[in-house]
Amino acid sequence: MVVPILLGITFLTFMLLRIGDQDPVAMIAGPMADEAAFAEIERELGLDRPFFVQFGIYVGKLATGDLGESWQSSERVADEIRNRLPASLELLLSAVLLGALVGVPVGLRSAQRPNKLFDQVSRFVSLFGFSVPTYWIALMAIFVFFFLLGWAPPPMGRLDLASFPPPDITGSYLVDSILTGDWATARVAAGQLALPVILFSIIVAAPIIKHTRAISLEVLGSDYVRYAKSQGLRPRTVRRIALRNSITPVLTFIGTELTGLLASVSLLELIFAWGGLGQWGLNAILTGDFAAVQGYVLVLALFSVVVFVVIDVLVLLLEPRATLRP
Amino acid sequence: MRQAKMLRPLATAIAIGAGAAMLGTAVQAADRTFIFAYSATPASFDSDNWQAGMLESTVNVYENLTKHSIITDSTGREVIDSANVEPHMATSWNVSDGGRVLTFKIRPGVKSAFGNELSAHDVAYSWAMAADRKKTGNFMRTVGRVASVEATADDEVTFTLSTANAIFPRILTTVFPALVDSKHVKEFATDDDKWATKWLAKNTAGFGPYHVESVRPGEGAVFTLNKNYFSDEPFFNRVVFREIPSAASRAALVKSGKIHWADGMPIQQLVDLKKDPNVKVDSVPGTGMATLRMNPNFPPFDDVRVRQAIIHAMDYDAIGVAVFRGLGERADSILAPAFGEFHTASHNAGTDLDKSRALLSDAGHAGGLEIQLEYSDNWWWEEPLAIQAKDALGKVGVNLSLKRIPKAEMNSRRRAGKRDLPFFSHLANAFVLAPGYAFYLSAHQKGSSNVNDYKSDQFDSVVDALIEETDHTKRVELAHKAQKIHADDSTFVVTHFPKTYAVTTPCISGWLWHQHDRLVWKHLSCDES
Repeated sequence: MVVPILLGITFLTFMLLRIGDQDPVAMIAGPMADEAAFAEIERELGLDRPFFVQFGIYVGKLATGDLGESWQSSERVADEIRNRLPASLELLLSAVLLGALVGVPVGLRSAQRPNKLFDQVSRFVSLFGFSVPTYWIALMAIFVFFFLLGWAPPPMGRLDLASFPPPDITGSYLVDSILTGDWATARVAAGQLALPVILFSIIVAAPIIKHTRAISLEVLGSDYVRYAKSQGLRPRTVRRIALRNSITPVLTFIGTELTGLLASVSLLELIFAWGGLGQWGLNAILTGDFAAVQGYVLVLALFSVVVFVVIDVLVLLLEPRATLRP
Repeated sequence: MRQAKMLRPLATAIAIGAGAAMLGTAVQAADRTFIFAYSATPASFDSDNWQAGMLESTVNVYENLTKHSIITDSTGREVIDSANVEPHMATSWNVSDGGRVLTFKIRPGVKSAFGNELSAHDVAYSWAMAADRKKTGNFMRTVGRVASVEATADDEVTFTLSTANAIFPRILTTVFPALVDSKHVKEFATDDDKWATKWLAKNTAGFGPYHVESVRPGEGAVFTLNKNYFSDEPFFNRVVFREIPSAASRAALVKSGKIHWADGMPIQQLVDLKKDPNVKVDSVPGTGMATLRMNPNFPPFDDVRVRQAIIHAMDYDAIGVAVFRGLGERADSILAPAFGEFHTASHNAGTDLDKSRALLSDAGHAGGLEIQLEYSDNWWWEEPLAIQAKDALGKVGVNLSLKRIPKAEMNSRRRAGKRDLPFFSHLANAFVLAPGYAFYLSAHQKGSSNVNDYKSDQFDSVVDALIEETDHTKRVELAHKAQKIHADDSTFVVTHFPKTYAVTTPCISGWLWHQHDRLVWKHLSCDES
């Protein structure tokens, strides 16, 4: 199923980019080029050929791993993605991990004592996380924690100006500096990561709290939990039973959420000058960089596929009732 | 204030280490690093490959045979003299054959960062490359009426013009085409890429004060001093070109002293930054003006009365207050006041609602008119100006609908051969400070920035005559005549000069505006005392 889905997404992206009024030729040629230059660039990019011929050539190259070349940077799109994806994943996975570590226990606790103070506060926090625009909270946090209090480092990307990037192993500056024992750089990388991760984890945790609470309420009100209670089992044991039954849908929800977050991290990357895939993809969309947009969308689709596969495997491990069907 | 003082030593320390962070090389104790924050990492260093950050970097890497003289104006500020051009990488030039042949003597000792000395062959190579690629460099070749470029000796290059003109020596002040170290560039040429354009997009090979040392996509670039630079040594021997996409983040960084220069700040930020004692904000009017352009090939803009009605309906005072927050400067002609006596006030650009209504009535639109304005986010002022225009036109019965389109679509639809935008926002800078060039660029039928497809044979003939005229008095007369014709045809709503701003930490001094409207690092210094 994966191949037809990816092919369908590729076709849709390819078509949508070309039916709009934006074409990259004017951007490549510059403001003072003449019509001969436009025609030459169109020919070089293959934009003068019929749509299906263009698509066929693209898919043919795609099959060999060639995602084309970004007209903006003149770099191979595959290289751009390889260079920038780790920066986004570093930010995204840290935020999702933190968001889940906070969101799941808070959601469970809220469900155990509905409408009490803790539940009210957690619901308010969740609502805040839902409602507040990412860019606004990021700018406010920079103003308060960097400019006024001086607690956070400047929003200048993944390292400060005085640090060396560590040798490239995973692409994550934090992980790579730890792996190479460069503790000074690891401290700097962690410092740069802290504020955007905390902010993004608020956005991530909000739906997790809400969803975990709803699932837990449903499980706690189920017949088997009421039966367990009626049998005089200790509350701790009942909670364990409830957690075991809640965790699979919560995990599936986190996975679903994760697939959308790779795209939505772009605004945060923009504000913190993170230089990741989201910032690059956003810029590609705004400037009509066809090959880059296609590559970006394909990565988002592939990422979703990978996340769903991982979630399926985890569900198989955690849920005894789940089985693989041929 | 105390906070800023405490931060300054930190900023300096960071600056010293800055290059090392991106280069992975040891840093000398005497390093003086300038941190320049811009919205993007330079995506190209090739002046014929127009990308984000290209011009911001190439004007510091490539210099040319001539330059504008620097004079002191009545306020005591150093400014470039639009009237005078003097030798720069040439020592002199001779004019012969009635102004058609210009022979430049190359300055000895001008070397690139690779140690190669500038020769006439480099000049001829650079111009040949521009002609072959048919982009910006070739546009300059066309405007300057350049018929041929020949290296007549190692240190002598001869330009033969199809007609004598006053623009050509001014073109040689720009980076179009950029003078490249051809010996070095040729090493990277291939059968598929005979001009090594792929290499030039990622590297620099100029004879100017800086050259690129490293680039990290998504983070920035580091430039170091060309040790062989022939002229005065700049104060800063290293420049960190840092990508900070968010203007709000750039504002926070310049306030805290973490960067020296915040480029491309929108007006909302400027208003706040001007009040901040830890930030220095300076400005010059520049030559780029915010305009709304009407394409006379589309109804109802094919009727001059409608175009004039729209111009008279605009509330220019309100635009100055609401859009430019009192920081802009009113524009009154297609030509900027920076062109000195060539500039003359337009004859019909003023708010007059009664006249506007009468013109609309004459044109058969007494009952009202529905039109659409398209704008993008190429410049920060486009959307507020569009909203202001809607309000103003509503007062004369014109219902203006606003349509925001992507930057890429705007650029595509403005290109030569297409130009299908009936009414839209635009700004163009004249990189050559010659009135003939500015008119040709923006309104001549062959002009690359004649994006509203204005067609006037009368205007074109005046501009052609102006380009070829060498007598100063006659040139002034022709410039005034061109402005009159263009104003009467009324295809531009000229509003304000958004101005060019320098937003820096207080230690920075020496900012000198250039006609390309980009920062030239070599003039700057930092006084920490």
